[in-house]
Amino acid sequence: MIKFTRNIKRTLSINLFNGLLTLAILLIIGLGFIFTLNWLIFSANWKVVTLNLPLYAFGSFPVDQRWRPALWIISLLSLSVITLIGPNRKWLRKSLPLAWIATLPLGIYLLSGGLGLPMVMSRHWGGLSLTILLTECSLLFALPLGIFLALGRQSELPLVKTLSSIYIDSMRAVPLIAVLFFGQLLIPLFLPIGVEIDRVWRAIFAFTLFVSAYIAEDIRGGLQAIPNTQIEAAATLGLNQFQITHFILIPQALRIALPALTNQAIGLFQNTSLMAILGLIELLGIGRSLLANPEFIGRYIEVYIWLASVYWLFCTFMAVLARHLEKRLAIQKTNI
Amino acid sequence: MSKKLTYQIVVLFLLAILLSILINNLSINLSRSGLQLSFSWLLRPASFALAENPLPYSPSDTYAWALFMGWLNSLKVILSSLILATFIGVFIGIVRTVGNSVLGFLAAIYITLIRQTPLLLQLMFWYFVAFLGLKDSIFMPIKGMISISNKGIEFLGLSLSSEFSALLFGLSVFTGAYIAEVVRGGILSVSRGQWEAFRSLGFSEINGLFKIIIPQALPAIIPGLTSQYLNLAKNSTLAIAVGYSDIYAINDTVINQTGRTIESFIILLSSFFLLNLLISNLMEVINKITLNSKKI
Repeated sequence: MIKFTRNIKRTLSINLFNGLLTLAILLIIGLGFIFTLNWLIFSANWKVVTLNLPLYAFGSFPVDQRWRPALWIISLLSLSVITLIGPNRKWLRKSLPLAWIATLPLGIYLLSGGLGLPMVMSRHWGGLSLTILLTECSLLFALPLGIFLALGRQSELPLVKTLSSIYIDSMRAVPLIAVLFFGQLLIPLFLPIGVEIDRVWRAIFAFTLFVSAYIAEDIRGGLQAIPNTQIEAAATLGLNQFQITHFILIPQALRIALPALTNQAIGLFQNTSLMAILGLIELLGIGRSLLANPEFIGRYIEVYIWLASVYWLFCTFMAVLARHLEKRLAIQKTNI
Repeated sequence: MSKKLTYQIVVLFLLAILLSILINNLSINLSRSGLQLSFSWLLRPASFALAENPLPYSPSDTYAWALFMGWLNSLKVILSSLILATFIGVFIGIVRTVGNSVLGFLAAIYITLIRQTPLLLQLMFWYFVAFLGLKDSIFMPIKGMISISNKGIEFLGLSLSSEFSALLFGLSVFTGAYIAEVVRGGILSVSRGQWEAFRSLGFSEINGLFKIIIPQALPAIIPGLTSQYLNLAKNSTLAIAVGYSDIYAINDTVINQTGRTIESFIILLSSFFLLNLLISNLMEVINKITLNSKKI
């Protein structure tokens, strides 16, 4: 804030025109701010949000079972907070990636049930918990696939190289909605008779196919940034091709690609909203179905502002988390 | 050498097995539903109406013609958003780099709001709130020249539907935020000395920016711009959310009517391939022009 006011002072002192412009803009911002605040507090009817908070979070999940997605979201949030604080104990820090991977089977178990919990059909999954499930599942599946594709594109085998390149380039040329559409309508056509894959899993499959091509390009960027001398040094130490890839190339490529991968994760989180027009009732889908309810008809602005703030909050949180991670990885680098 | 060859043969073999299983399943499923792969249905009458058609179209025209209308509609909204997005992006990018701090602060808010919320939500906002929200009131900023209502925009006899306008503004404002970052990066890539040089030659700030800095920033800007344009083309398929009949929306209607999923999907992909080719070739030409003008 001090910097901000100092900047204003500096800007004001440059010349009169700039000063007047600044004042005019500040006036407009002030008026806009007062007008918006007035609307938000007095004119807006927030019932459409406040009455339906459980719907936004869990969709049509059975009411007495809502603690399951809630527990999952809470465990994810607390894990994020732990990651953000960065525990001092080394074993705890080392097990963090494993804990993150473990949240996925935990989430699937809590949502679908079985093994003592009552089963819940996937058509009852919805709201924020479905959005998070789509994002996390697709991301965790797409990461290894993306690494394979990136390595394939760098491969010395011409066939593997060509195939990976064709896959990556064609996936990146196609709009996401076409891929999702493929997932919903075409995958059943390619399956043998009697075999059916659930809608949610088909969506996750399509997201994985799509995102892995983008992740592959980001990781390729990381791989190319590693100097050749590293590979030579590793070879001199007697590491074989697999060891070089596994211990030298991939960890460094992932670290270099981390900012780009964060953007992919944030993009994926936002893009899961496309499933709202392809038949899943995730966060945006809940908003749409509430707006179709006669009780809340015409409450577009309230619902959209609410949804935008939820998306904004989560995306910003992911960005903060990733920036923190980048910083920590960078510190490790200087320690070596 | 022989080891490499074996690996490749194994990969090829596995791929062939996978493909043959999938194609076998597909042909079984298709023959069960009685829809053999064919494209002759394209010449049958479409018998659905279109809200927007750039060339004469009636429901008695063929499916192929209806799909072509969709392609033209896509092209129309892509090209116009591309131009508007460039203006927004260049303006915001310049403001972020050289504007005064308050304007820069506003631009930063704009960029975070746009980039951290889904495009689909933004498009719905533009359509249901900004345009349909006007209800019956007509908004006329300049009397007789431009009028905005829930029917869309009238501008000097040119009338744009509300669906088109919502898509146009939604896509442009969204892509503009990304182009702004590309422009900012480009401007920052020009060395500080160039600014001092034009100031000492007596150029005004704006004159120097447009005549000295931006021409040098262009080679750094154009590749980023191209990928943003391609993203815009891909994102234009979200038109279906606001009811604009673009290529994807018409494909969707056609599939609902005919059940020709595979064929329509092939058509969708190839029309997209054509659009991409068009944009990247256009940008290649622009790139060549800017590189040539730099030599002089």
